Amino acid sequence: MSRFKYSYNAIVYYQEDIAKGIDRVARYGYDAIELVGEPATHNVDEINKLTSDAGIDVSSICSIWFGEERDLINPSAANRQKALDYGKSVADFAAAVGAPTIIVGPSPVGKTEALASDEQEWEWAVENVRTLGEYAASVGINITLEPWNRYETHFLNRLDRAVELLDATGLKNAGVHGDLFHMNIEEDSIHGAFARAGSKVNHVHLADSNRAAPGVGHIDFRPTLQTLKDINFDGYLTFELLPAASNPFAMMARGGHLEFLDPYTEKAINEMKKLEQELWPNE
Amino acid sequence: MSKYEFGVSTFILVSPFTDHDVDQFDVAMEMGYDLIEVCIEDPAVVSAEALKKASDRTGLPVSICGAFGPDRDVSHEDPQKRRQGIDYLKLCVDIAQAVGSPHVAGPMYSATGKARLLPPEERRQQRQWAADSLREVADYASERGVTLAIEPLNRFETDLVNTVEQGLELCELIGRDNVGLMLDTFHMNIEEKNIAAAITSAGDKVFHFQVSENDRGTPGSGHVPWSETFEALKTIDYQGSIVVESFLPTVEEIAKAVSLWRPVAPSMDALARDGLTFLRRELP
Repeated sequence: MSRFKYSYNAIVYYQEDIAKGIDRVARYGYDAIELVGEPATHNVDEINKLTSDAGIDVSSICSIWFGEERDLINPSAANRQKALDYGKSVADFAAAVGAPTIIVGPSPVGKTEALASDEQEWEWAVENVRTLGEYAASVGINITLEPWNRYETHFLNRLDRAVELLDATGLKNAGVHGDLFHMNIEEDSIHGAFARAGSKVNHVHLADSNRAAPGVGHIDFRPTLQTLKDINFDGYLTFELLPAASNPFAMMARGGHLEFLDPYTEKAINEMKKLEQELWPNE
Repeated sequence: MSKYEFGVSTFILVSPFTDHDVDQFDVAMEMGYDLIEVCIEDPAVVSAEALKKASDRTGLPVSICGAFGPDRDVSHEDPQKRRQGIDYLKLCVDIAQAVGSPHVAGPMYSATGKARLLPPEERRQQRQWAADSLREVADYASERGVTLAIEPLNRFETDLVNTVEQGLELCELIGRDNVGLMLDTFHMNIEEKNIAAAITSAGDKVFHFQVSENDRGTPGSGHVPWSETFEALKTIDYQGSIVVESFLPTVEEIAKAVSLWRPVAPSMDALARDGLTFLRRELP
């Protein structure tokens, strides 16, 4: 019996029929799948049938915060509104497929320069994350704030900062999200950052230091698993594994990532279960 | 005394470094460093003469490193641009020779920050251009008793050489004995499957070494596996110097590539001092 629930982000199954991805994660023993936050490209009825048949859940929606129209802190009010509308559509999608959580990045990936003063950006972030969070609450969904590394955003790079933003919003249906690939670059200690955020952690993305499956890089996952147990984390450990490129999506479009399909999907969960067994042999 | 010389990069002290900043040699001395690494950001404002004078005056040896903006790209598709990159590197070699730096170090194979997805054929071509350009520079450097220490960078800063393995491949393609690698723990933490194994695999091709914490902060304040890293340097009988590197917010030539948006230490002065204290404790 596993202590944690495991999920795998379908983002790396890009360009593949979703039925294949759902079948794959079910086959390797996952509890759930994380879906990409592009509601228009998904057929809700089909997904619900596929997941139900496969006996898995949808853990979360990995929203695609990319471009100025998905920028909650963009200087243009019209863009901020479009970003909010996008976030709401993702919350609706989550509710329709039974996913409890959506990922929120207040400033889009790839934007590494502030377009307004720090104070102004922060103010927009608090306001719009709150608005989006309140909407999500109205459809029964939680949000999770995700920091990314310095090359992908200037805005939220560390878990501490995400907690600050979370606290400023006063939301109850929200938490913060640690992704080990980003944390390996930004945090002084990965497990230390999780311990500091404590009960505010409501989602986790697992990846090794080079964003491949655990065991392929050099992260020791044991202290992190121990800390997540200590803080009573009860969300999903979701693997977000991506090819080594500054723009992994372009690489996936070329099909240069076949090890991320069957091989890494299988390896990722097996590595974690092996570590769980090692850490807690009597459970 | 440690067997290694410990150095500090001018990227921590003042950026861009000019002839007016030679008092930084005294700062580095006062901090207790054995060496200063001068980055040639803008050759128009820094001269070999001023560096040599400061080095002679203080007795502090100099390591020369390059900064590779878009106009210093030896693997660019435009031969004119490649020529500009070669000329800049030869100038760095001249400075290195004049000040007695054993090497010119840095990610000299491309413009830093260029991270594009290329079809394999174009990538091969880019690599070949890099090798051909750097071979010319290596021969020029060889006549002047200087080596080239090529630095792999992480995936967000370059698309050409991310790992030690790729670095060794490029060295092989260049095919000159005075070409090796400079390794930087910050980049290795992101890209290498195992940092110690990567260092060991490069062996005597490790010409130069930079230390930086996983977040570019003070060495010893984060989670880089330092003891394994230092053990690996012993295993390969590394004879070069070890330079502490981070970046001031004023860095221009490669600012975007570095992407440092917050202070990573109480101050850059503290980073330099605490970094040295850490090195002296770990590598007595």
